[in-house]
Amino acid sequence: MEIIIEEISRGQKLLGRHKFNKDSINIGRGYHSDIILADPHVCAEHLSIAFDGENWRVVDLNSINGCFLGEGKKPANGHIIHSGDVITIGKSQIRIVFPHHPVVDSITLSPFENLINLTKQPAVLTINVLIFALLTGWMFFLNNPKEVNFTQLFVPAVGLTLMFAIWPAAISLISHLTKHDARIFTQLGICFVFYNLSWLIDFIEALVNFNTSSQSPLTGLLVILPITLAFCLFWLNCHIGFHMSKVRRVVVAICLTTLLFGGTFLIQLSKKPDFSVRPQFNSTLLTPNFMFAPSNNVDEFIENSNKLFQRVQDNKNKD
Amino acid sequence: MKGLIGLFLILISQISFAVEQAETIFKQLAPSLYQIRLIDKASGEKSSIGSGFQISSDGLIATNYHVISSFARHPEKYRIEYLDNKGNKAPLTLKSIDVINDLALVKRDVDQAMPFFEISQIIPTKGEELYSLGNPHDLGMIVVPGTYNGLKKESFNDRIHFTGSVNSGMSGGPVVNKNTEVVGVNVATSGNQIGFLVPHDKLLTLFAQYQQEELLTIDEQMENQLQANQKKLVDTLINSDWQLKNLGEGLIPTIDVPFIRCWGESNADKEDALIMLAVANCSLDENTYIAGNFFTGSLEMEYRFMQAKKLSDTKFYQLFQRQIARVMPGNKAGKDDVSEFECQHDIIMPEHQNINNKAVLCTRAYKDFADLYDVLYLGVSIDRHDQALLSHFTFAGVSQDSAQAFTKKFMESVSWK
Repeated sequence: MEIIIEEISRGQKLLGRHKFNKDSINIGRGYHSDIILADPHVCAEHLSIAFDGENWRVVDLNSINGCFLGEGKKPANGHIIHSGDVITIGKSQIRIVFPHHPVVDSITLSPFENLINLTKQPAVLTINVLIFALLTGWMFFLNNPKEVNFTQLFVPAVGLTLMFAIWPAAISLISHLTKHDARIFTQLGICFVFYNLSWLIDFIEALVNFNTSSQSPLTGLLVILPITLAFCLFWLNCHIGFHMSKVRRVVVAICLTTLLFGGTFLIQLSKKPDFSVRPQFNSTLLTPNFMFAPSNNVDEFIENSNKLFQRVQDNKNKD
Repeated sequence: MKGLIGLFLILISQISFAVEQAETIFKQLAPSLYQIRLIDKASGEKSSIGSGFQISSDGLIATNYHVISSFARHPEKYRIEYLDNKGNKAPLTLKSIDVINDLALVKRDVDQAMPFFEISQIIPTKGEELYSLGNPHDLGMIVVPGTYNGLKKESFNDRIHFTGSVNSGMSGGPVVNKNTEVVGVNVATSGNQIGFLVPHDKLLTLFAQYQQEELLTIDEQMENQLQANQKKLVDTLINSDWQLKNLGEGLIPTIDVPFIRCWGESNADKEDALIMLAVANCSLDENTYIAGNFFTGSLEMEYRFMQAKKLSDTKFYQLFQRQIARVMPGNKAGKDDVSEFECQHDIIMPEHQNINNKAVLCTRAYKDFADLYDVLYLGVSIDRHDQALLSHFTFAGVSQDSAQAFTKKFMESVSWK
């Protein structure tokens, strides 16, 4: 009679799977056992599982710590086994299934799985990391008011690129530790694609901010872009690194996004002085090539300032 | 040699004459001269001191507004008292102020008519000997001789230029002529031997107002005076000649009035600079003191012309962006005095269509005074690849109408050549 015994962790993760084609299986720490457990709370001959021609039964071999059904305190000795039963031995657990135990439906490969796999191709990955490093270096160059040499740009660019590689590496590590496939190159590939997308979004933001007036509602909408991007990245990180249900993946991604933006917001809030002397305004400037919006005239600007004065007046009355 | 000795003797005799005269003046006037002290109620100690002088027989005393400003702003925290030449102390009540000319009238209780300072009806002549009285650094009442040097030209609100040492603590003390008539009030100093006085006519006006009108509260007086002054200032500015001057490739307006002075600077000597920069700065060197950390009435205009020398347009504009994010208001004010700045921005091309600017206007409201704002404007040209013209002003303590009128005129005056 065939039987499958799975060693599982407390977190229900599979540690090992054994298939037997005999009527009695011994489990214990002794090396003569059919399944050898390393747990020191398990006796050398702890229990056996025996087929009596009709049923499989658990037989406790007078072990010190006993064996129990599932997580509970109910002794398992003499228990008639059903497919899927979990038995706790010492601090270890085993799960027993019969050959015809139903399995969950296979998960269809998502259509963008190919796309995800594309990002880990050495060429694609290299190009993405390179683009990121170059853009980072360029930003350093643009923001430096003095003349700079190559090394002065190279060091921060490479440093920042390595720093940004920590996140995908950390996820891979967690995947690996939780007995999932690490897929580090896929994680790296996806992350750097998204980092580069965020540069793109930064540019779009600058472009919109440069071309719109403070009256425009568009600037407010722009906030959604980076949040969406971060959510997508976290969702994909989960998708690549872990087997989890759709709902769980969405929840985890939402939590991470909230943590990132909420945390940033809280930090800013905590640093905000009680009273700010400096005016806060949109100072975005791009080159004339990127100016597409039509200009207003001075009278309109002054006319609009009525609302500004009204707003200031309202704030004053609120205080 | 004989001539020299003779000159020396004449000098000595003149000095001793002046000292003698100063002594007589001091003896005569000492009973009407006071030290004004602000006492912090909680600690019971004086928090600031100044001088004051009696201008009526019933105990009205004139001093500087800034001497008693803490009391005017927070009457619950302080009390005012005087110390006379005999060492008597008694409380004073604040009656009237002129915040623009830095004057205040306080009153003591008197039992009988007292001697007082006569306020002069005539303006001194240039070079006339004057005597400044006061209590510098809490050292006791002194008299300082000096000369009248006319009105300070660069000032919007009249100030007498007095050649003589006006030290801190002498604020609010009278400056008298030989006939012991008050011709001015000590108000400020600008280093060695340069002192500034409030002319006597300002005191006469305040005194007359006090006698005639039903008095408003101190806050109301302050609000009315600030309103009137800003209106007078903005009207004068807008109706003055706005001369266009070259700044690099740009044309910038400077207002042709004596009280606005301009300064310039450039980095033309720096060979390795990435950006050629020329800066012109015009400002009204006058502040209205409201409290120790709250000034108003200042105007600053700044223009910058920039030319990229060895860098791309992208970097030029990126560096420019970093520069404009750092603007600050020109006057000091705190949380209790003003609201936080709110801003608007837009792309603006004035009627003459000669320049396209990114324009930013920010403003904050005064909490204790209706319709008074600090405004800050920033215009940045965005129509040339390797050149930029920045035009900026901050104007403190103006009404909405004044601010808008000034902003409009300013925006329309800046252009490319």
